[in-house]
Amino acid sequence: MPILEARNLTKTFRRPDKASGFKGAVKHLVQRKYKNYTAVDGIDLSIEAGESVAYVGPNGAGKSTTVKLLTGILRPSEGTVRVMGRDPHVERIPNAHDIGVLFGQRTQLWWDLPVEESLKLLKHMYGVSDADYKARLARFDDLLDLGEFMPALARTLSLGQRMRADLACALIHAPKMVYLDEPTIGLDISVKDRLRAFLRELVDDGTTLLLTSHDLADIEEVCERIVVIDKGAIAYDGPIQQLKAHYITTKAVNLFLEGPADVPALAEKFPEYAWAAGEAPSEVVVTYESNRFTTAEVLGGLTAQLAPRDLSLSEPSIEDVIRRLYAGELTK
Amino acid sequence: MSNAFAVDRAFAVIAFKRRLAYKAQWLVALVLGGGAMLVSMAMWRELLSGGALSGYDWDAMRAYVIIGFITATMVFGAADWHIADRILDGHVAIDLTKPVDFQRARAAEYVGSMFSTVPTVALGVLGAWILFDPPGPASATAGVLTAVSLVLVFPLAFGLTYLTVLVCFWTKRYLGVMWLREALLAFFSGMMIPLAFMPSWLQAVAWALPFPHFTTTPSAIYLGHVDTAGALGLLAAEAAWAAGMWFGARIVFNHAVRKVTVHGG
Repeated sequence: MPILEARNLTKTFRRPDKASGFKGAVKHLVQRKYKNYTAVDGIDLSIEAGESVAYVGPNGAGKSTTVKLLTGILRPSEGTVRVMGRDPHVERIPNAHDIGVLFGQRTQLWWDLPVEESLKLLKHMYGVSDADYKARLARFDDLLDLGEFMPALARTLSLGQRMRADLACALIHAPKMVYLDEPTIGLDISVKDRLRAFLRELVDDGTTLLLTSHDLADIEEVCERIVVIDKGAIAYDGPIQQLKAHYITTKAVNLFLEGPADVPALAEKFPEYAWAAGEAPSEVVVTYESNRFTTAEVLGGLTAQLAPRDLSLSEPSIEDVIRRLYAGELTK
Repeated sequence: MSNAFAVDRAFAVIAFKRRLAYKAQWLVALVLGGGAMLVSMAMWRELLSGGALSGYDWDAMRAYVIIGFITATMVFGAADWHIADRILDGHVAIDLTKPVDFQRARAAEYVGSMFSTVPTVALGVLGAWILFDPPGPASATAGVLTAVSLVLVFPLAFGLTYLTVLVCFWTKRYLGVMWLREALLAFFSGMMIPLAFMPSWLQAVAWALPFPHFTTTPSAIYLGHVDTAGALGLLAAEAAWAAGMWFGARIVFNHAVRKVTVHGG
């Protein structure tokens, strides 16, 4: 049985429909008009216990609204959600006991108190025993270096510290299902690396994870499955490796030749590959279809005939695939 | 203490500590509240110099003004903006992911923040007692019942404040709602002038509302304007308002929570 199941999940908001400017404002005052806006449009989603799922989409696609529907904050306009067998909106409190939520753009720390006060309050809220609380804090300290800023007022923390503290708040009760909405937003690369390592460990421990992020490195490093949402509907749902295998059908090699690269001549000589000039005069980019040629074949042939002084392989990019999914160039 | 009450206590303590974080606030409350009390005393001393008015002589009025100072400091010093801000800026979304009853958690926070006014109240009352030497309660029973009435101000103030804060789900603004509540409270509670000075029809309007229990009820009991049976009746009405607003707020919240439209992250 899935730990989370959504069927035909739909959320429609009513927005004021008013013209711009003073005239529009006055007109709206006497004659109010509204338009319905569907943020989430009939989503079907099923997540098994222990899965790590990336939930991605462009700005305004409906990611955060979906998370709010799944966590019980919002009531669906249509459709159903079951998390561990419960309707998260109707059975909000029992559901909240078993989930952990982090909204990267909203802190759950008490702004004018030390971090440890917020964590202590959460300990009481979730009924965490003293022993578990100490053990979990020690673990968070190991992985997230919490200790250094536990006595600091939340409002004095850097963004990276704040996010690490918020992550500890979301996980202090060892939830079975964790929703992380853009947990690495605005963080520098070293803090991102630390958070990703922590999330990988969390997944390895069997926690079910739903992660939304615009940073595709978060997704590739932490998740096995990806759900792409666009305009409120699911555009792709499947394993990340399958997405890559299905849509990433070309690979590229950058060759650095001894002299200037004559691209037209090379294209004529090796018509089975696509050729393009690189950034340097001696650099050339060779693109080949990965289902027709192996990398060894390509490299073997080209190095034997062109004797490049150096070469580099371009890793397949999920970013490009997702960009094309957003643009509607690819279909499910 | 059971876990359920431990959570309430934790919320109350954290709200109290948040108030401790802004120490100047206490001083401001003491200066403003104490100042208002002094101005009020001076005004009533002058007005009552010719004798009692509407059943209040200078002795009774001294006690009345001090009781008004106590209730006003408790009610106006509590953390209503913290609740309103969370609704207005969308942090209510975070609150709804926590395994606690939203109303009960806010009540604990509110009461915790009201307790933070106790030092201001204690200092203000001590100063007023030294300066004005007001009369004691009409009887020992009246003293006890006055204390009960003041304790009931805690849930009563929360109910009134929480109900008005919930209006933010619809209005998306709080300032106007707060001003309206505070104006009605100051006028109909008797904090501004005792209800006895108002025409009888206005007094009837006031007594149909919860506001008189914030000042008129404790002072009427303290001064012996009502006998023990009357005092118990007033306390029952005060408790009924507190309970009614508590359960009414539950209904309002169940509707309000459907209005949550936190867009984006």
